Amino acid sequence: VTRDTENEVARWLDAQLHLLDRQVLDVNGVPMAVVDDLELSGVPAGEEIPIDTPPPVITALLSGPVLATRIFGGRPPDSRMERTPWAAVEEVGVVVKLAVRQETSDLTWTERWVRDHIIGRIPGGRHIPEGEQHDNPQNDERGGS
Amino acid sequence: MKRVLGVALGILTAIGGFLDIGDMVTNAVVGSRFGLSLGWVVVVGVIGICVFAQMSGRVAAVSGRATFELIRERLGPRVAVLNLGASFMINLMTLTAEIGGVALALQLVSSVSYLLWVPFAALAVWLVIWRVKFSVMENVAGLVGLCLIGFAVALFLLQPDWGELGRQAVQGTSTATERVSTYWFYAVALFGAAMTPYEVFFFSSGAVEEGWTVKDLTRSRANVLVGFPLGGLLSLAIAGCAAVVLLPQLISVTALSEVTLPVALAGGKVLLALIILGIVAATAGAALETTLSAGYTIAQFLGWPWGKFRPPAQAARFHLLMIICLIVGIGILMTGVDPIQVTEISVVFSAVALPLTYLPILIVANDPEYMGEHVNGQPLNGIALIYLVIILAAALAAIPLLIMTGAGQ
Repeated sequence: VTRDTENEVARWLDAQLHLLDRQVLDVNGVPMAVVDDLELSGVPAGEEIPIDTPPPVITALLSGPVLATRIFGGRPPDSRMERTPWAAVEEVGVVVKLAVRQETSDLTWTERWVRDHIIGRIPGGRHIPEGEQHDNPQNDERGGS
Repeated sequence: MKRVLGVALGILTAIGGFLDIGDMVTNAVVGSRFGLSLGWVVVVGVIGICVFAQMSGRVAAVSGRATFELIRERLGPRVAVLNLGASFMINLMTLTAEIGGVALALQLVSSVSYLLWVPFAALAVWLVIWRVKFSVMENVAGLVGLCLIGFAVALFLLQPDWGELGRQAVQGTSTATERVSTYWFYAVALFGAAMTPYEVFFFSSGAVEEGWTVKDLTRSRANVLVGFPLGGLLSLAIAGCAAVVLLPQLISVTALSEVTLPVALAGGKVLLALIILGIVAATAGAALETTLSAGYTIAQFLGWPWGKFRPPAQAARFHLLMIICLIVGIGILMTGVDPIQVTEISVVFSAVALPLTYLPILIVANDPEYMGEHVNGQPLNGIALIYLVIILAAALAAIPLLIMTGAGQ
């Protein structure tokens, strides 16, 4: 299991437990994706790692339409994965919060496509449900930690 | 005063919302064949759904995470996709059954074939999901669903031999004419009907929809712990009515009109009208819940934006998915399958999917990182563990019993 102490609060993060399959929210608290994989620095595949190399650091969170390989195994080509640089990660709590807007990410293009071509065209599709504009409930202020 | 009203409203909604077509049909079938001798299963099932619905609501209120996000996070994509596949198929079956139920109830009133009502029922469900506010939707369906109290009224009007009903309930064994395997098949079906997974998906996602926080915990506990047991009593009243009227006459329940027959006998047209209104509301409410649950499970598994609190355009894939589910549901009903049979099968398969749904909730409810000081207490964990054993036993027994008894024939 990869461990990483990059986090500024110097908290132990278990890659499997705290990062993989966590919900990723954008800066406005809108769900973007789920973490599918991590990119680590300086771990070339298939090579012997010298004893005194510094421990690897997480350089990016990877997500993409890779459910099939997550379930049945195998490795998709890198182009299938969308990289979110670790620097864009604002907070790792019960969700992973990013400092980017989801509109700028390629991860959510299917959402935008369905919105622009189907749902947005049905009458009332852009109607804001009145009275339900409470603070976004998926903000993690209520998180236990 | 406003707080008291809020609690009362929640409880009333929970009573009406507890019963769906699965509960009504299964209880009537069981009552007409076994009397009240399976009443204990309803009690066990109601306690179970109280324990886990309350727990999932608490997790959602404290951490802001709905159940299916947790299922993927804790079980990993492989096991979670198994659960997703199973839950989604059951959800779709239940959704089909509920829309069929609305259409059948409308057929009782109008004498127009239910097949003609199906597209309208589905369209109405979609319009509500598209436009109506979440809390309004929940309260209206729940409150009108309260008309089902008519079943309890009918049971009193029938002036049954209470001693005999009590004996059946205490005896808790099969009648002479039915096989033991059939008895246990219906026990699993009743348990599955009471604990259907969609209730937990809906309850936890609903908590996020309504923006519950720690402050709402007392209210949610009151809703569940008072509302669900009262809903369970109505289930027993349905079984009781069937036991008093249908069992002695050897009438078997194959259509909705047989479920309502004892009511018509006891209370005449007025009570029957009330019950049909209740059935329409309860099944329409459940159709809304299952349609939303279908969207919730997949959107939460894949990390999409979801929820009725967003404009549809901001949860586009979520809304598209629900439209597709409704269309598939119409398609299934249009093949002419009997909605009552779809219902009976769906409650049995519900039992199969229960363990994978309830285990992650229990794990996360004990995780201080999510729950802070609101983690489960020891007694609750004890009860939940006992229930996991029962759930596992029911899940393992469901399919063999289904095959052995030929679906309870």
